[in-house]
Amino acid sequence: MEVIRNFPDSELLGNLRSGQRMEETIKAIYRGHFEGLCWYVMNNNGSRQDAEDNFQEVLVSFIDVVQRDKFRGESSIKTFLFSLNRYTWLNELKRRGRAQLREEKYEKGQERVQLDTSHYITGREEKAEVLRIVGALGETCRKILVLFYYETLSMKEILERTEYETEQVVRNKKYKCLKQLEQRINANPALKETLKNLIHG
Amino acid sequence: MDNATPNMPEDLVRLLDNELTPEEKAELESRLAADLQLQQDFDSLLCTRAAIRHYGLQQQVSAIHLQMMEEMNEQPVKRIAPVRKMFRYSAAVAAGILLIVGGFFAYQFFTLTPGKVFSAHYQSFELTTVRGTLNESAVEKAFRDKNYTEVIRLHDAGTEPGVKAEFLNGAAALELKDNTRAITSFNRVISLNKEAHTTGFQDEAEYYLALSYIAARDYKSALGLLKKIGSDPQHLYNSKVTNGLIRQVRMLSWQ
Repeated sequence: MEVIRNFPDSELLGNLRSGQRMEETIKAIYRGHFEGLCWYVMNNNGSRQDAEDNFQEVLVSFIDVVQRDKFRGESSIKTFLFSLNRYTWLNELKRRGRAQLREEKYEKGQERVQLDTSHYITGREEKAEVLRIVGALGETCRKILVLFYYETLSMKEILERTEYETEQVVRNKKYKCLKQLEQRINANPALKETLKNLIHG
Repeated sequence: MDNATPNMPEDLVRLLDNELTPEEKAELESRLAADLQLQQDFDSLLCTRAAIRHYGLQQQVSAIHLQMMEEMNEQPVKRIAPVRKMFRYSAAVAAGILLIVGGFFAYQFFTLTPGKVFSAHYQSFELTTVRGTLNESAVEKAFRDKNYTEVIRLHDAGTEPGVKAEFLNGAAALELKDNTRAITSFNRVISLNKEAHTTGFQDEAEYYLALSYIAARDYKSALGLLKKIGSDPQHLYNSKVTNGLIRQVRMLSWQ
């Protein structure tokens, strides 16, 4: 049975930075913040599905900010997430062509955040393009690249999860897949710019 | 790409993967610093790795999202429907009013004292002068002169027995804040009237007796008399016994 516990902010940030215990940590963020952030979207012209999509975007942006060491702890995680949530949702409303929200509702007791995190947010369409181009790779390529570059597994560990004979074969495959993806990205200057912003933004 | 180094793409990938020895890394980094094309090639690899990491993170969050939605679906976040919003605001206003009214009554309840109620409703008894002052008895004269101690002395001496002297004795005692004597005297007036089938100073005695009970904190007896006076339109003091006075005495009895 899974043991559910609360993480202090420091431990949560440490896990996200190191990439250790990611699943447990992300679940802790859900348990601690999903309801409040969801409430905001649903009470500002959003549907339940909007709220869920928005939360996932916020979470990805937050983890990205932490892993790039851009979160310096000037605010609590709650405040930071609330701000990201707000700007992400406002961006989405603008994208949909709606007027700026005239009335924003805040959950009772929720901090009225003035923290500006808008510069951490990459547009939904740009992110979707990143997902599309990686998703367009073959399944094997995607798997090897994600296991190596996201889950940071060794070649030996990847070998155990694939049907290849040797580590060298996996290494060669990974190299080819990487170059294949690189070529596709280079052929899309706008996407490359988005990725540069993700790295340096 | 530098054509003089055919293995350069692999080397850049090894740099990206942090697989170079410190010497190899230092050498390649110095070449990177001097070669713009090489820098662009490496940037391209960094972008590619960023895309993979973003994809991996997005996939992991999506997978966990599904799990968490199952876990949380038992307690879904609710949107406040317009009708519910209106109800909520109305309830908030009602609660506010209730709080103010409740606060007002709570303030009244906790600051109410028998002394305050007594003072608000007590008025010194004034003797009428229908017979002229020449025929005045000593007790009446002493009372009119506000010599309450003399009224009590004359009463106790028994020089002028009767309902009027008994009542004036009670009224004088009330002026001197001797509640026990006042209660005894007013009750005596009522008894004498009952025995003699008369009504002299009956209404006055009942009203001032009720006030004496309030001052003596005997709220049950006070309420009995006040209700009697309040329900009798012919009673001389009927207009003085208001619902407010009865409510105040009730509140005192709950303290």
